Amino acid sequence: MSQRLATAEPWLCAAPLLAVLAPFFVAPIIVVLAASFLQGDGAGGMLPQFTLDNYAAVFGAGLTWKLYLSTVKFAVLTWALTLLIGFWIAYFLVFQVRNRLLAIGLFLLCTVPFWTSNIIRMISWIPLLGKNGLVNAVLQGSGVIGQPLEFLLFSDFAVVVAYVHQLTIFMIVPIFNTMSRIDRRTVEAARDAGASRWEAMRLVIIPLSKNGIALGSIFVLAIVMGDFFVVKVMSGGGSASVVSALYEDIGVLQYPPAAASAVVLLAVVVLMVSLILRTVDVRRELAR
Amino acid sequence: MAHAAHLKGDIELAGVYKRFGDFTAVDGVNLKVPDGAYCCFLGPSGCGKTTILRMIAGHDDPTGGEILIGGDNVVGLPPVARRTAMMFQSYALFPHLSVRDNVAFALRVRGQSKQQRYRATDAMLEKVRLTELAHRLPGQLSGGQQQRVALARAAITEPRVLLLDEPLSALDEQLRIQMRTELRRMQRELGITFIHVTHTQLEAIALADMVVVMENGRIKQAGSAREVYAAPRDRYVAEFLGGQNVLSGEVDSVNGASFSFSAADACGIVVPLVGARRIASGERVDIAVRRDDIRLRRPGAAADLAGWNAVRTAIRAIEYQGSFVKVMLDAEAGSEFVATIPEREFFDDPFEVGDTVLASWMAERSRLLVR
Amino acid sequence: MNLDATRRPWTFWVLAALFAAYVLALYGPMLCIYVLSFQDVRGGLVFPMKGLATHWFVDLFTQVRTGDVRGGFERSITLALVVTVLTVLGSFLAALAFRRGFKGDGVVFYLMIGSLVAPGLVLGIGIGLLFQWLGLEASWTTSALGAHLSWTLPFGVLVMFAVMARFDRAWEEAARDLGATRWQTTRLVIVPILAPGLLAVALFGFTLSYDEFSRTLQTTGGLNTLPLEIWSMTLNVTSPSLYALGTVTTVASFAIIGACLAVIAVIQKRRT
Repeated sequence: MSQRLATAEPWLCAAPLLAVLAPFFVAPIIVVLAASFLQGDGAGGMLPQFTLDNYAAVFGAGLTWKLYLSTVKFAVLTWALTLLIGFWIAYFLVFQVRNRLLAIGLFLLCTVPFWTSNIIRMISWIPLLGKNGLVNAVLQGSGVIGQPLEFLLFSDFAVVVAYVHQLTIFMIVPIFNTMSRIDRRTVEAARDAGASRWEAMRLVIIPLSKNGIALGSIFVLAIVMGDFFVVKVMSGGGSASVVSALYEDIGVLQYPPAAASAVVLLAVVVLMVSLILRTVDVRRELAR
Repeated sequence: MAHAAHLKGDIELAGVYKRFGDFTAVDGVNLKVPDGAYCCFLGPSGCGKTTILRMIAGHDDPTGGEILIGGDNVVGLPPVARRTAMMFQSYALFPHLSVRDNVAFALRVRGQSKQQRYRATDAMLEKVRLTELAHRLPGQLSGGQQQRVALARAAITEPRVLLLDEPLSALDEQLRIQMRTELRRMQRELGITFIHVTHTQLEAIALADMVVVMENGRIKQAGSAREVYAAPRDRYVAEFLGGQNVLSGEVDSVNGASFSFSAADACGIVVPLVGARRIASGERVDIAVRRDDIRLRRPGAAADLAGWNAVRTAIRAIEYQGSFVKVMLDAEAGSEFVATIPEREFFDDPFEVGDTVLASWMAERSRLLVR
Repeated sequence: MNLDATRRPWTFWVLAALFAAYVLALYGPMLCIYVLSFQDVRGGLVFPMKGLATHWFVDLFTQVRTGDVRGGFERSITLALVVTVLTVLGSFLAALAFRRGFKGDGVVFYLMIGSLVAPGLVLGIGIGLLFQWLGLEASWTTSALGAHLSWTLPFGVLVMFAVMARFDRAWEEAARDLGATRWQTTRLVIVPILAPGLLAVALFGFTLSYDEFSRTLQTTGGLNTLPLEIWSMTLNVTSPSLYALGTVTTVASFAIIGACLAVIAVIQKRRT
């Protein structure tokens, strides 16, 4: 094969990916960026006029800070819970389940619920957590409480429950993947050297699972920061997120302010992700 | 495949070198391997032997120099055009194909019909005695069986040179010895040149017509197994092949056909001077003595030591090796001084660790090495 | 970690309990839906069940006011199938390219990560605006397709990375040594060996596309995909026919995915 064709070949293979990323990722981001600097004409259109008003509005509004606070709060809470649950589930499946086939079977068991629509899964909380829902019925019926618990549904609690329910799997998968690459003998060696089970966990397993944890964290944080319907539905309209506010702006055709808000959000998410990527060489882990 | 005229499988490497950035893996190698020879490349990891193998195969290209197979310069040609075939260290059997389909693979990519290629494959499977396993998948085979499949798969293309990358390393001791005979048998039967890379000395001298000893990208010595073992050129080859003790020291005086030599704890050692070697008094030289040429005597034994060299030393360790006993003697730091004594002889008058002995050998059995 | 075959540490039982609780929590909500979809005609959206009936399933497929479920379903399936095929091809090729390495592959890698973490709605807006400015009409066959691919392709590439890490280069070299051309090597060696992995990518692609919501919202044009239909239904419909829909779509997903997994399992079993 001629030299030139040989060097061009990887580019040809990467071409389909680039052909999708360019118009459907790079270009839209640029468009949004551009739109954020334009002047709205008050009627849903945009005037080709450069302005920083949109950004001023975003940074100036107290609402912005409140929204970010709320969204970041949900993100961090969700991240902590999904990490806690996801890590231990992955650990259980990789290290405690002896039969490899059984471990994979149980793992698949965890992924099965995700074969149902996102939205259906969300509305399924209503018959469960609602005032007349199953949980309340059981608790009331068994006499634990007298009045139905209101905070179970349409509250911040419900939002976090829905997020954790939906996103723990995003933690489990990468951590499971990374953990299964850990050589059991390193753990055995640690135990041989006198480490307790907890120390072996702290000094060997957790550091070696760093990559999986990082990847999972990236997914969870990005999804929560970018969510708009879970928070809307599960809080019953009580809470909002940055993107849900964006969604509302779009609803009234306020594109430029929405675009500015979107750009700021993107910057924040990119910042978060780069900070995480700094702690671990994800590229090497994935392309090994 | 029509029986093409048997193309010559002699190999010539002329000034071959290979650089990876700053690192020189192969440093100017010149070698001629005759057609139909079993040639072993022997050396430790990183000495360049596998790199040379891959360059002969066509999986890597030399940075410079020529590689001729059967008189044709093959540098730049893909493996298939060289009429060579390689057997990989991990065998690299296709896990999704049966034994039969693995072996038939080369014929399939040449466009042969099912009938044609299965006929040739079945004949080959007969040769390596794998007919009953023809429909198994590689994952269901033992190490030795996998190796036979790899061999059959490579040999079916009727190459003129077969290249084997540490084929026996993955097997356990007993299987290794068994498969050694198998390889030799296949080579004789196919009548083609085999290039076999290994780091195991005993394997190389058992199998090869020609042993090429390498260090750091250079050939240290190439010759028959006997030459390389019994008459090593320098310290490296002597030590790597085992079986030899190497003493470093100074020349005391030269007396025509021999010279006298002193090392740290030995003096007056007589070494024959052969060929046109010229040495001068005071020069630092290395000499070699075979381990099985050394006899141990108790000090004070009034035996006649004329014509024998003797070194006074103490026994450091004793290892029973079945047909012989390996006695490790005190030597200068960093080198070994070992005597292998036939078992019965040793137990006639056994020594113990710590005993002082005279390690002696016939003077004419010492050899001068190249520095 | 205690590899003693006879005793399990107390932590095992705690973790096993955690796992069981997790699975229960995972399936719990949906089980409610499945059960409630058989709600009696007189029943409402919540427990208690007033009786058993298949009324709402019928309602789902016949009543116009419940939304264009059939149409949404057809569009979602079609879109998902197209996305699946393109994703498998695209991510396979891209992963091959990354494996070989090429100038700027670091940049492309980070672009992929970017496409994954960018909020779906933002990208959807961007694509919608882009099409508007170019004078093109957004439709589920064009802009939505692209939006879906921008989500599934990077995922697919990541899965392929993991799959290819287990692919021994020696197989490729052996094929070359035996005389196979690049094309033959790909067709006869690489693809068959990677087949289970490719199937996994297909599954991912299908699931992600079939379920995709936020990116599709702004890019689907006039006709809705199923998730969008469901979304509008949740805002309007107040009967258990919604639950019936949930049950039906779940069954459909299960059937498809279950079949694929069975195939993967069979292939893997044969090879070991």
